Amino acid sequence: MSAGVDTAVNLAGIALRNPVLTASGTFGYGTEFSPFLDLRRIGGFVAKSLTLEPRIGNPPPRISEAPSAMLNAISLENVGVDVFIRTKLPAIPDGVTVIASVFETEIDRYAEVCARLAGVPRVAGLEINASCPHVKSGGIEFGQDPAVLARLVASARRATPGPLLVKLSPNVTHIAEMARVCEGEGADGVSLINAVQALEIDTSRRRPVLANGLGGLSGPAIRPIALRMVWQAAQAISIPICGIGGIGSAEDAIKFLLAGATAVQVGTANYLHPAIAGEIAEGMAEYARDHGFERLSDLVGQLEFPSR
Amino acid sequence: MSTDQWGETRRTPIRSVAEILSNADEGHSSRRLTLRVPDFPGFAPGQFAMLSAGALAAAERSDPLLPRPMAIYRSVASPQGADVEILYKVTGRGTALLAEALAGQRVSIVGPLGHAFPAPEPGDRVWIVAGGTGIASVFDLAARLKSTHRPTVLLGARTEGDLMAVEDFESLGIDLRITTDDGSRGAPGLVTQLLEESLETVASTRVFTCGPTPMMRRCAQICAAAGVPCVAALENHMACGFGVCLGCAAPLVRGGYALVCRDGPAFDAAEIDWAGLA
Repeated sequence: MSAGVDTAVNLAGIALRNPVLTASGTFGYGTEFSPFLDLRRIGGFVAKSLTLEPRIGNPPPRISEAPSAMLNAISLENVGVDVFIRTKLPAIPDGVTVIASVFETEIDRYAEVCARLAGVPRVAGLEINASCPHVKSGGIEFGQDPAVLARLVASARRATPGPLLVKLSPNVTHIAEMARVCEGEGADGVSLINAVQALEIDTSRRRPVLANGLGGLSGPAIRPIALRMVWQAAQAISIPICGIGGIGSAEDAIKFLLAGATAVQVGTANYLHPAIAGEIAEGMAEYARDHGFERLSDLVGQLEFPSR
Repeated sequence: MSTDQWGETRRTPIRSVAEILSNADEGHSSRRLTLRVPDFPGFAPGQFAMLSAGALAAAERSDPLLPRPMAIYRSVASPQGADVEILYKVTGRGTALLAEALAGQRVSIVGPLGHAFPAPEPGDRVWIVAGGTGIASVFDLAARLKSTHRPTVLLGARTEGDLMAVEDFESLGIDLRITTDDGSRGAPGLVTQLLEESLETVASTRVFTCGPTPMMRRCAQICAAAGVPCVAALENHMACGFGVCLGCAAPLVRGGYALVCRDGPAFDAAEIDWAGLA
């Protein structure tokens, strides 16, 4: 870490040693990365989304490539909340900040998963996945309808006293409205964006490439969309934002801070280079030092947008 | 430290930036890539690596975005790590890009990854059946077993030009039999037909296979009918190679999925639901 730069940030009541987290669904349960990355080099990680019961994923093909992007339709395969608490959490090294991600198909079930995670000592906070774009009866309705989103956030808020983030879907017309709903219902912060709903077609079979049909687009191709949405949300709310979308370098991450994010999550880039999140954290500190900022948090929202 | 079935220390995978020593055209879109990989801990037969041409960081080259899983063909220890050989064919955008890389350029590598072929017991009668680019996955297995097990190796391809590494196999001095669909090299027909005609089923017979899914599926059927254990190395698409993208799911006979990267690529062929494999 660069001498003299204070990299610590507070994200929604979660104290992070630096603003770099890794995104849910791209980082397993953390220990998969231990051969490559000392997890204490990053601010923390968001674990794979948890449901009440274990879930088996979609049939293959589950992934596909697109220009500067990938599509996935995994369907939130996970071990279930109880196995996570019993076996996955204890395997994570001490000193690593863990945020649990919650996904379910009904509001009551979301709340039950939140309640089981509330007060678990190693869980620093919760992130409600309101935005999974490829489960037919799940996240897409929650994240796309302001009234449903309001009920979901209010229910989760009642279920957990700790830090509560809501991960927003990009598949909406007005992201600022969705961010305001979360703030109004007591969320401590919002994370955005999740994968962009997408379709790739195999012309030889005249069928979708993915067995699920639709998938979620991630990677560098979505980064400018994510930056725009983070900036729009930042104009609308005063709770902190965690920026996500195609981050693969320290410069990319700095852009999200400038747009108004307090912290960031690295996603698809973890697949390309399993230590990239650590390098990004160190590179951000270098940027701050080189540009005369004493604290990384001083960069948040410093974008000078042309007045209209 | 635990040891694997090949009698060596279990290797922790590394992520490294490797220098290309050579990237030679071997004809018929087949290429041999030699990389100097710092700190490479070696590998066991059947393990693979994820390779990104040009992608030192995600920002440097983002299209094509994902690294490509490649069987490790051979590795020779050097003072700094190892010189690692990869045999590949240009089959799409990722391998086309890799084919353009020159000696002296660098590539990102993550490996060794996955579960190797299980080592046969002393005295086992070993058959190795491979087709297409799967031939690259079994060379090291044949090389390591050449003195202890005298394996019989059956290689198949559509044409002579689609075969790989035949001279390397010939240099092992083992029983090598070749088929091509068009008869341009070796016996005409499918390698699985040759297996069915020639497989000697004694109690200790074991079959190892890697190749196109229809070939491995047929190989698994032949072995099941003969009561012979068969280990198949699967070659699914994947984004990470170490168990987090969950993209390489292979359906199992008992239900659910295994991850080719984490639970394989070498599997007991009887456990795979071949009809459901994409």
